Amino acid sequence: MTGPGPAPALPEHYFRREFGRLVPVLSRRFGVHRVELCEDAVQTALLRAVQSWPQRGVPDDKSAWLYRVAFNEVLGALRRDRRSDVGVDDAEQLPAETSTDEAVYLEHEVQDDQLRMLFVCANPQIPRESQIVFALKILCGFGVEEIALRLFQSPEAIYKRLQRARSALREHMQELEQPGIEELANRLPGVLEIVYLLFTEGYSSAQPDRVIRHELCEEAIRLGRLLDEHPVGAVPETAALLALMYLDAARFDSRIDGAGGLLLLEEQDRSLWDRDLIQTGLTYLQRSARGETFTRYHAEAGIAAEHCLAPTYERTRWQEIARLYQLLQRVAPSPIATLNRAIAIAEWQGPDAALAVLEAIKPPPWLLGYYLWDATLGELYRRRGDVERATVHLTRALEAAPTHAEQALLRRRLDAIARSS
Amino acid sequence: MSKFLCLFRFPTSAWPAKPSSPEEMQKAYAAWQAWMKKFEKELLPGDGLKTGGALVKGGGTVSDGPYIEAKEVIASYSMLETTSLARAIEIIKECPIGAGDSVEIRELAGYSM
Repeated sequence: MTGPGPAPALPEHYFRREFGRLVPVLSRRFGVHRVELCEDAVQTALLRAVQSWPQRGVPDDKSAWLYRVAFNEVLGALRRDRRSDVGVDDAEQLPAETSTDEAVYLEHEVQDDQLRMLFVCANPQIPRESQIVFALKILCGFGVEEIALRLFQSPEAIYKRLQRARSALREHMQELEQPGIEELANRLPGVLEIVYLLFTEGYSSAQPDRVIRHELCEEAIRLGRLLDEHPVGAVPETAALLALMYLDAARFDSRIDGAGGLLLLEEQDRSLWDRDLIQTGLTYLQRSARGETFTRYHAEAGIAAEHCLAPTYERTRWQEIARLYQLLQRVAPSPIATLNRAIAIAEWQGPDAALAVLEAIKPPPWLLGYYLWDATLGELYRRRGDVERATVHLTRALEAAPTHAEQALLRRRLDAIARSS
Repeated sequence: MSKFLCLFRFPTSAWPAKPSSPEEMQKAYAAWQAWMKKFEKELLPGDGLKTGGALVKGGGTVSDGPYIEAKEVIASYSMLETTSLARAIEIIKECPIGAGDSVEIRELAGYSM
């Protein structure tokens, strides 16, 4: 114990990080089907720390203290269940209560346990959206309301998704009691997608609070690095995903102006881009080029790298970007990729060539209601000098724009057209 | 200087505390930690109290759990060593308890023997 004297302050997000470490470690000891019990036990351990650390001083090894309290808490609950004869198989040998000395666990084991849990989250029986919520809860230590705030959902919806994930894990418990990461390696594409979606959720979220969006991106990068440090996860796809995340994160802050408004790529101050993050991203991009694999992450990282390396907006290699969007379309067909390719073509060959690309596709109904579809068309017509059509599309985009920042951006465009005509 | 025993009471309806997120708990920790740091010269070590326990009545009846019928739970205690009850109240008024919680302050008699 430290002390006498008041307890020291804790590092930022210490409890949240500990939660995300202890739940996977305990779930390995007691079985993944008992994950909810482990979550409750860690919750209790943190509460005990809040009650006793300020009064009695902080233990020398805080993590071991929390582990010991949570471990004994799970054990106590299992013993109570055994007495009342539910839930616990009598043949199962329960471990003895642990004292501080035994509670020491190795850092690389924690990482393995966290990674195993990430693969457990990617269980194909769990819908993808529940997987993401579940990962945010048990690996990042966010509470239900915090997840709701970050994903722009109601707490009730988040709670339902969590329960769906937990019940799926219980139903498939035989398969899941002590799975090795190697046995779950075929889930790697799903795991990568969870990390990717976490990142894009943070990067492009409608959430106005920058710090909150940043946090999701940081968590995604942390999980991506965890994956990259394990033999099962250290594949070119993972490196490509990390490259993409670092190259996007490097430009995170320059997208916002002093008043919190959203800035277009051409308006951003490139000197604000984080050179260190760009360098890290480029290193991962280089590593991702091993082998024959080419995934959507490769294409998207390549596009991000082109933007990061361009000295100015005008001197961007738009031809290369248009080519990368075409490759992206091949591995992950989506009208959004087409839309972005059209934007690159507009810069490279002009608005007519870009409009030809967009006029050639039959947009699905959801795309017609998507504000970027109209925003892009409006901008292309404006460049062609077709004020009437430009105004129609930009007005429609303004009506559908999800955030104030995006609405303000579109209003500026409309005002510019009104002034010039 | 006088010593004061401070009993932290929480309504049983709010105890055990409802689950809050790790971040929220860390905020609670930071609030208590800041309070104790501010008054470190006057606060003596206290402790949290486990739930349960026993209630022994004169005549020999023993019941488990001291607060079966109580409306409040004593969750922890602190000791203050300071100049006056007024000062003790001043210190306790700044501690981060919730709206429904209460702290009972009692001066130790300290009769000389």
